[in-house]
Amino acid sequence: MTSLRGRAVIGGILWAAVTITLGFAGLQSFIDQGAERRFNEVLMTRLTQVVAAVEIAAPAPEAIQTVVGDQVFNRPMSGLYWQAEDEFGLTYRSASLDGHILPRPQILSSAVEIAEFNGPMGEAVRGMSRTLTLADGQIWHVQVASSLRSLQQELAQLREILLIAYTFVVVIGVVGALLQVTVALRPIEKLRKDVRLRWTNEGGLDYGKYPEEVAPLVYDIDTLLTRNREIVHQSRRQAADLGHAIKTPAAIMRNELETLEREGQRVGDALAALDRLDAQLKRAFGRMRAQSGPAALPAVTQMDLTLGRMVRAFTAMAAQKGLSVQSDYPRGLRLRMDQTDLEEVLGNLLDNAQKWADRLIRLRAVELGDQVTIMIEDDGPGIPPDQIARAMDSGQRLDTAKPGTGLGLSIAADLLQAYGSALMLDRSADLGGLRARFRLPSAPLQG
Amino acid sequence: MRILLVEDEPVLAQQIKATLTAEGYAVDVASDGIEAEALGVSQPYDTIILDMGLPGRDGMTVLKNWRAGGMRVPVLILSARDGWTDRVDGLDAGADDYLTKPFHMPELCARLRAMIRRKSEQSNPVFERDEVLFDSRTNQVMVAGRTVSLTAQEMAVLSYLFHNAGRLVSRNELSQHIYQHDGERESNTIAVFINRLRKKLGDGLIDTVRGRGYVIKSGP
Repeated sequence: MTSLRGRAVIGGILWAAVTITLGFAGLQSFIDQGAERRFNEVLMTRLTQVVAAVEIAAPAPEAIQTVVGDQVFNRPMSGLYWQAEDEFGLTYRSASLDGHILPRPQILSSAVEIAEFNGPMGEAVRGMSRTLTLADGQIWHVQVASSLRSLQQELAQLREILLIAYTFVVVIGVVGALLQVTVALRPIEKLRKDVRLRWTNEGGLDYGKYPEEVAPLVYDIDTLLTRNREIVHQSRRQAADLGHAIKTPAAIMRNELETLEREGQRVGDALAALDRLDAQLKRAFGRMRAQSGPAALPAVTQMDLTLGRMVRAFTAMAAQKGLSVQSDYPRGLRLRMDQTDLEEVLGNLLDNAQKWADRLIRLRAVELGDQVTIMIEDDGPGIPPDQIARAMDSGQRLDTAKPGTGLGLSIAADLLQAYGSALMLDRSADLGGLRARFRLPSAPLQG
Repeated sequence: MRILLVEDEPVLAQQIKATLTAEGYAVDVASDGIEAEALGVSQPYDTIILDMGLPGRDGMTVLKNWRAGGMRVPVLILSARDGWTDRVDGLDAGADDYLTKPFHMPELCARLRAMIRRKSEQSNPVFERDEVLFDSRTNQVMVAGRTVSLTAQEMAVLSYLFHNAGRLVSRNELSQHIYQHDGERESNTIAVFINRLRKKLGDGLIDTVRGRGYVIKSGP
């Protein structure tokens, strides 16, 4: 579907084209008529001038030329001509005709007749003529003609000016339409930005700040977002409650079975079933978290705060095992991921590192452009390259000698994938153990 | 070694208590947060197992109150809340370790031993003095390569003295750390246990400082 901006711009341009074309046509016709009228007025003045000359000089018609006097009639082929003919067919002409004769019109009348024909140079001319009866009864036919070239030149010039003016109007019109569209669509742009921020922050949408046409929509979106978030929180809470409700009885069963096993009873199958139950629950909760989180939860985390918490916690735990934790990360960055989800990822990766590390675990974060790479390395045995894919499969334990469900890496990978990121595993160049890496986009600081 | 177990689920509490008692620990059980907080500050525990979801006062508040009051006994959180945010919250509030339910009893025991060793600044779970060898992981005692059988209370006395090696331990302190809260406590029975230990392990291991208490000299 065409965008609102596209619709408004196309509509505006079409409407502008129609009005500008109509305006252009109207104005051009007005200008053409004006030029014609002026041309005819000038020609009429010439005719009157020649008629007056004939009236004065009729007794000695050779003098007509002198009486008319105007030099433009004397220059050969000047484009302006006169011709006077008496009732006996004697013709007197302007020197500009250079011996050529203007064709006499079919109808001779005392009224002014206008006709167009070819002049002495073959150019289009407009002639104006009338028959004139003098006081002594002589009848003369007087005509003047003027080349249409000047009229055509004037019209062409006027049209050129008009075209330039209208091009200017068109440009202003289009720019104006674009500006108008931008201004009119600004609330929509703002809504988009606000929804995006709303997505990453807890604050609600302030629909009072929108124009009345958009406000109801903003209100509906706000309600929808809030409801969505409530549903996610609620379902996560319910899942956690269910988890708690199952885990304590499961712990009791496990202890009971382990006691029986120590007493020599055969309970291996029951214990294995319980292991599967535990792993199934953990996997289901991990998936639930991955599926519900990113789409509906505010997803910005203060990175140094979270990494600091993880480092403190793991330093305490690692110390119990004689391991040390090194960390190096920039301060003040915000990441596009929910804090509990990021802690879940980091917790699982650090926990894996602490299971395998010999002496050292290292947590680093490096900012590159608008992306942050977080790395967790250890100095343990690492994972052979051909087994890395298997390590991220849920429930695949590469070494069953270490306690655990084998779900940590896959839970971290699932969560990262839900955020459009990916977990990468390879060998730590300097520590020699496993290096787990992932990238997350950083979020701009709030102004 | 004396442990406070804070767990509101009675069956689970009983299971853990039975296991730990068999391991030679004296175990007090608190089933709500208020009782737990009071016991934690009034009794000299060697370590505490703390559940998070408790009636009365939740585990996190209890832990924070303990730490705010300067109580430094190592605390292991044992909780069904297995999210890393919960775990980190707990460790950040001053817990020393975190174990999620369901758990393996041997892992709980191993973590408790590690916490107790760390508290007494012992890194090796195997204690050795002259010809006597005590493995705190298995509660096995050997003298010159021969296994010696000890009663639970003899074991508790020996373990406490080994964990506090080099420090003079009074009879009263010993009795506080080997008997549970509601148990009968007689400090002169301590002398009986010490005598039995000397008979089984030789005279050279435990020194008596007359009128003040006992000491195992610090490690080799």
